[in-house]
Amino acid sequence: MASSSAGTPVASLSHVTLEYEGGVRALDDVSLDIARGERVCVVGANGSGKSTLASVICGLLAPDEGDVTLVGQRVLAGGRVDFAAYAKARRSLGLVFQNPDDQIVTSVVEEDVAFGPENLQVAPDEIGRRVTRELHRVALEGYAKADPTRLSGGQRQRVAIAGALAMEPEVLVLDEPGALLDVRGRRSIMRVMGRLSQAGTTIVHVTHFMDEALEADRVIVMEHGHVALEGTPREVFSRGELLTSLKLSEPFCSRLAMRLSQLGLGVSWTCDSSELLDQVASLLGTGSDGGETSAAKAAGDADGMGRGDGGSAPLAIEASHVRYSYRSTDAREDSSPALDDVSLGVPEGTSCAIVGQTGSGKSTLLRLLCALEAPDSGSVVVHGIDTSRRRDRRRLHGRVGYVMQRPERQLFAETVLEDVAYGPSNLGLSRQEAEARAREALALVGLDDREGLSPFELSGGQQRMCAIAGVLAMRPRTIVLDEPTAGLDPLGREELHAILRRVHGGGVTVVEVTHSMDDAALCERVVVLDRSHVVGQGTPRQVFAAGNEAALESAGLGIPRALAWARELARRGVTGLGEPLSLEALAQAIARHADEASNGGRSI
Amino acid sequence: MAMRISMGQYLPGNSAVHRLDPRAKTIAALATMVSVFFITSPQGLVLGFAFTLVVTALARVPAGKLVESIRPLLAMLGLIAVIDLLVIHEGTVLAALGPIAITTGGVRVAVLYSLRLVVAVVAGALLLLTTTPMQLTDAFDSFLAPLSRIGLPGHELAMVFSLMLRFIPTLADEAQSIVDAQTSRGGAMAEGSVARRVRSVVPVLVALLASSMRHANGLSRALDARCYEGGAARTHWHPMRMRAADWATLAVTCAYVAGVVLL
Repeated sequence: MASSSAGTPVASLSHVTLEYEGGVRALDDVSLDIARGERVCVVGANGSGKSTLASVICGLLAPDEGDVTLVGQRVLAGGRVDFAAYAKARRSLGLVFQNPDDQIVTSVVEEDVAFGPENLQVAPDEIGRRVTRELHRVALEGYAKADPTRLSGGQRQRVAIAGALAMEPEVLVLDEPGALLDVRGRRSIMRVMGRLSQAGTTIVHVTHFMDEALEADRVIVMEHGHVALEGTPREVFSRGELLTSLKLSEPFCSRLAMRLSQLGLGVSWTCDSSELLDQVASLLGTGSDGGETSAAKAAGDADGMGRGDGGSAPLAIEASHVRYSYRSTDAREDSSPALDDVSLGVPEGTSCAIVGQTGSGKSTLLRLLCALEAPDSGSVVVHGIDTSRRRDRRRLHGRVGYVMQRPERQLFAETVLEDVAYGPSNLGLSRQEAEARAREALALVGLDDREGLSPFELSGGQQRMCAIAGVLAMRPRTIVLDEPTAGLDPLGREELHAILRRVHGGGVTVVEVTHSMDDAALCERVVVLDRSHVVGQGTPRQVFAAGNEAALESAGLGIPRALAWARELARRGVTGLGEPLSLEALAQAIARHADEASNGGRSI
Repeated sequence: MAMRISMGQYLPGNSAVHRLDPRAKTIAALATMVSVFFITSPQGLVLGFAFTLVVTALARVPAGKLVESIRPLLAMLGLIAVIDLLVIHEGTVLAALGPIAITTGGVRVAVLYSLRLVVAVVAGALLLLTTTPMQLTDAFDSFLAPLSRIGLPGHELAMVFSLMLRFIPTLADEAQSIVDAQTSRGGAMAEGSVARRVRSVVPVLVALLASSMRHANGLSRALDARCYEGGAARTHWHPMRMRAADWATLAVTCAYVAGVVLL
């Protein structure tokens, strides 16, 4: 705090310890300074204390021990809280957190943005100026009078950011702002953050997405309540093994660099994408001749998009010309259908990804596939049962397992075991049989030692697994999941995918709505929804073929990262890498190419 | 999700009614709603309908949207009318079937009582359609100011009211998805014996309660982060001011109520 040259830090924590009731030590002797104008990213596994740290920095939680100075206010000295100083400091600290629904307090966008300034007793004229300015900054000028509940998740989160910024905070703390958003929503948040940072706002950003951390000035890695690692993104992400031991992953780019050097290529480690692209391009040389074949192949695949059922395996799910509209009581809602002329087939035993941006009709489609509702016209046939009659739909509940968005919200019973056994006992099984199935499902998701606990005592990630076990315990032939990994940390995502692979390995058809094109590429089939219509379906190779990139872009979707890299390299003259859909495939293709380049004696 | 709840939803606009001071509007709406209980004659009923029709036109709320926003309540009023019709035995008998008799008195009560309640429902709906929750909060805040002066939580009550309006649609959506999840786990909602139905509701209610608690936690964090302190002074972006039009509104409402009482 004495340093005058670099300016005093805008937030300073010294030997801070914080314990929650029940003796959980969320922060353990943490010391750190945040400089004015700095952009800091905090990463860590679930339960590492990073959200607690965010709450301390934005003045909402007072630690038990240590010293804290926030925006010039000494709010905590030797563990003693100065409430007046806290109240003063809070006026200059802004917070945006995970769920935009909980942060928006009114039903009109502009009034919500004005709420904070009103509390700070800002003069009315000035409030008006701030509302206009901040809505412009988050690119929501056209939505000033809109009802936030009608906006997409990304837009709502931007309303929350505008609401925080209208209070003109010296520090803006964002606690996993993108955790519940789709790719486009996350990107828009990152853009806003970039602009703010350039304008000199101090930003503390807590995230699970390592690629987002690359844009920070400094990355802080939390583990068990203390700072495990800290430095520039380059310094932090070069410690690959340490990160793995902290249950974290690295950004795509540095994983690729690592893999390439493991494969014996002369690539030096980096977490800067353009640097790695340059390295690979110069390593492989340009103008290779393998390009035409793969380009031709890609074009051939593109023709297949939209058809591509091909196989003669019986269909687990068959929808033809489905149309569905919500019966709305809302005075303002138009009555355009949520699904229009949707036809698709999912062969039994396959894994299928459904992709599409917010509002494309994905969740509605899932409700129909799970036989919760019948289509207005057209038909949905699941495992040979038409869903148009209520009695038939009832027969399907249980045969088709439905894991809704944030399924932990459905937990209700007194113990984990009872909750998981709810489904099987509804099937009319005896208590013993139902509990046996519940135990089996709990073992599958790794919660077998928690069956006696209340589901509400589990951690967030465990609650999700418990809810999924509740569906698996019914031994469904098809399981339908709506964004099952949203909000999980990298390790949680990995675990969940391993479970799904095991379930799929047992012959269960897996249908998953996902925001991640990388995950979609790992499925056997992909269905693309855009504005109530199916605009493409087939194998990942067909759907992500070069000819479809523009169509995917217009549906608000991207392509798998490995494929984007291969195409970028192709633009730089490195052709012949084919259409790799995963990092491993990309790395192998590059290695093969390098091999040929050195052995083949090609002329340049 | 299948049925979106739209009660208490604001319809953005810039009509004369939208622009009224929320206090004047709230008082006028409440007075109109209470006054329907003085409607005992067809003339009074005509006056009530004429008044609400004029206000609807001034508010430029499309009739179809108004009807849609009150449809669930209209259905309930219809049901009450039918019960009135069957239960009330006054005047001459118009038709009879065994113990069930329809009388002139019954018809009169059924028509009059349900239609006068329509006036009240429309008045309430117009208030909510043309007033933002924040304006309503401000209005209630000023009505409850005397409470705050004697140490009761007037401001907080007003804020709670506003948050309630804000969270009804969110919780309704959540209730729907929880019902979906439990249904697909074989839970039989609204089927079977009474005991079975009651039991089948538990998984939904407990889950919804837990969800509400989560929202409450998040919300209290958000209110803290945005420096909202219960009774503390705050400014208003659009300070409330009673203008000529607002006083005129109150005067017209007074005249209307007098008319209803006298007719």
